Amino acid sequence: MTAERQKHLAVLVAIWGALVFAPYWMPLFGGYTALGSRVLVLGLGAMAVNFLLGFTGVLSFGHAAWFGLGAYACGLTLKFVASSTPLGLVAGTLVGGVAGGLLGALLVRRRGIYFAMVTIAFGQVFYYIAFQWLSVTGGDDGLRGFARQPLDFKLFRIDLLHNDVYFYYFVLVCFALAVGIMAFILRSPFGRTMIAIRENERRARFLGIQIELHIWIAFTLSCFFMAFAGALYALVNNFADPRMLHYSLSGDFIIMAVMGGMRTFWGPLLGAIVFVVLQDYLSSVTVNWMSFIGILIVLIVLFFPRGVLGLLRQRRTA
Amino acid sequence: MSVLEVRNLSKRFGSLIAVRDISLTVERGELRAVIGPNGAGKTTFFNLVSGFFAPSAGSILFDGRDITGLPAHRRVALGMTRTFQITEIFPELTVFENVRVAAEAAAGYRLRVWLNRAEAAELHRRVEATLALTALSAKADRLVGELAHGDQRAAEIAMALALRPHLLLLDEPTAGMGDQETYEVTQLIRRLHKDAKLTIVLIEHDMRVVFHLADRITVLDQGGFLAEGTPQEIAASEAVQTAYLGQAA
Amino acid sequence: MLELIFFNVTNGLIIGAFYALMAIGLSLILNLSGVINFAHGGFLVIGGYLAYVLTPYLGFWGALLVAPFLTALIGFAVERLLIRRIYGRDPLYGLLLTFGLAFIIEDGTRQIWGANGLPVSVPPALMSALSSEFFFITGYRMFMVATVAVVVALLFVLLRYTRFGVRIRAGTLDLETVAALGVNVRALRSLNFAVGIFLAGLAGVLAGGQLGLEPTMGDGLLMPSFIAIIVGGVGSLTGTLIGGLLIGVASGLTAVVFPSASEAVIYIMMALVLLLRPRGLLGEEGMLT
Repeated sequence: MTAERQKHLAVLVAIWGALVFAPYWMPLFGGYTALGSRVLVLGLGAMAVNFLLGFTGVLSFGHAAWFGLGAYACGLTLKFVASSTPLGLVAGTLVGGVAGGLLGALLVRRRGIYFAMVTIAFGQVFYYIAFQWLSVTGGDDGLRGFARQPLDFKLFRIDLLHNDVYFYYFVLVCFALAVGIMAFILRSPFGRTMIAIRENERRARFLGIQIELHIWIAFTLSCFFMAFAGALYALVNNFADPRMLHYSLSGDFIIMAVMGGMRTFWGPLLGAIVFVVLQDYLSSVTVNWMSFIGILIVLIVLFFPRGVLGLLRQRRTA
Repeated sequence: MSVLEVRNLSKRFGSLIAVRDISLTVERGELRAVIGPNGAGKTTFFNLVSGFFAPSAGSILFDGRDITGLPAHRRVALGMTRTFQITEIFPELTVFENVRVAAEAAAGYRLRVWLNRAEAAELHRRVEATLALTALSAKADRLVGELAHGDQRAAEIAMALALRPHLLLLDEPTAGMGDQETYEVTQLIRRLHKDAKLTIVLIEHDMRVVFHLADRITVLDQGGFLAEGTPQEIAASEAVQTAYLGQAA
Repeated sequence: MLELIFFNVTNGLIIGAFYALMAIGLSLILNLSGVINFAHGGFLVIGGYLAYVLTPYLGFWGALLVAPFLTALIGFAVERLLIRRIYGRDPLYGLLLTFGLAFIIEDGTRQIWGANGLPVSVPPALMSALSSEFFFITGYRMFMVATVAVVVALLFVLLRYTRFGVRIRAGTLDLETVAALGVNVRALRSLNFAVGIFLAGLAGVLAGGQLGLEPTMGDGLLMPSFIAIIVGGVGSLTGTLIGGLLIGVASGLTAVVFPSASEAVIYIMMALVLLLRPRGLLGEEGMLT
């Protein structure tokens, strides 16, 4: 038990160490700090999807909608309401999370593949709204004309816009906050009940658990995390566009989670690192990067359904 | 006062009548076995009592209270819990975690994200006690999915117990078990009945188990009520003999 | 005004027939294989481009007949090689696999035929307006609807009266029992998948004639097809047909009063169905839920 604890602690130190020093070691491998921020935010998105998929066993294929809503709400707040980065984040998180929670109440009785289908379709509603509502969202061109604002602490200001390293650390703090809350929930009775539902819904029901209520809360929480990631993403790019709401992005997040290992907490982050870096690299060397990503997805589904960390864990227990 | 009272319960699926006009009363502390040939409607009867689906007619009283229209999780909250014919567990969790989920649910913690030290300690103590009662303490850290069939059965019963029920519904607890496992589970049920003073309703195929454990036996046949009595009375009943022999022939 | 409404209802029916054609193919595959085929739009594109390639040799009519069969053949191969491997696994993997396939197909068509749209020539006989009064209904549109009607009718006859069809319907309800009766479920699923892809290929050929060809032409049809299935009820092909026509007409009618909402209205219909009748108009209770 203690040996396991030590090992667990060592892994945590390694992960956080790598993240904290990323601006210093990434350039050695041809990475750049802005890419680091992007990976972190998309990783958070994948972890938010996995909060529902890997730990409650519920497959939503429309989660990009909440990500995108968070991005747009953050961007619109910065553009029209107040030039405050924290306010933009809060607004984005609230709008995406509340919208997800409301729609979730409508969907939560569906299960399995039917749930996936309905979430895709409803997610697309927001895609069309962003696409069509030119006057507010900028339509297909996306939402421009906002930028992340400096953090003002009275005594000193932190310039997030021009200093990539400062911004990376800002993103990292936000990431740590969200991931910390996620881990805290998963270790609580509430989180353990989520896992019980994933493992065996019928058994859970006859333990007196209200499945629909529980899934709805888990879904809503996951939407809030997603929207928070989306709001951060708007800051990463100083831009939001309809593709952030499209089901293709939902699919990307799920791929990241599966690739890294969806029964594991950190797997989705690992998946995001691999996926984003690979996509970044492939699209710079070949016009056919879509085919490569497609083939990668097919290979993962057929040969590595448990993902990298799932595979490692399996090998350890075997 | 009776713990469970079922009045004129019926369930039809389309044109098929799975359960027809069944009434029975289970007293506090009683161990009642429900037997009958295949297709007698035993499991459907259980599903009705536990709230898996609603009856077409009739009513169910639990501790004198009409629960006919209550959803399953409310019945659990009132103190009624069940196991399934095919073992229903959380395979990728350990034995301890399986039982803890149940104990947390029973304590009303399932929506909580924080337990204080006293609550956590009390919960831990209760899980350990349940594991001790079901002889699973040594296997607490094993994944349930990796256990032998008999131990999985015991874990499922442990989960049911962690809910602190006063009525336990067991659906064929020895199904698919060898002699040794059957013996162990039978002893466990006997302890629950004699020592923990639980009221138990048991569906069972193995007549050795039934006659060893039951205070009273209810016999169903083709969805309807056939006979009820002590094990001696049932063993002597001609109607029961024909029902079973008729099926065997 | 009345004429405008008539125009839009007719137009809606035409679009609806198209949605239905796509959705019925998706529905067949979903029912028997438990897979939501994200690549369905991709197969539509393949059908369209195959017809484009074949037209110089076979003419429009020849291509119309042959291209869907070739598409179905490709579908059959894909099922044998890939889709089959994920049967019985979590629905997640079927979604991801076809999601990846859709990427490959889109990129592949772009690689072969280019990203720009290609025009498709349709026999002049089909291009003329039906009459001066109903100038908006070109012969080609009527031809499209007629083709869809005939094919869907044939499909329903096939499902109703042939041994193959009866097995598909039985398999939708209870695959295990069908397998226990000695039916080769693997072959049944392959053939059924091919039939579903045939419909997608046909939709591609027809759509090409109306709108021209583009590697992404399937994208816009995938969502309405999903919604047609949800509105009609998972598990029921008749429901899917009705669902497709219904959302087509609804979006046509909305275009009269509030053109920019013609896309949104189908989502509103889906939301209403989910609220009022969660299993869909003709869905079986408990199926796939």
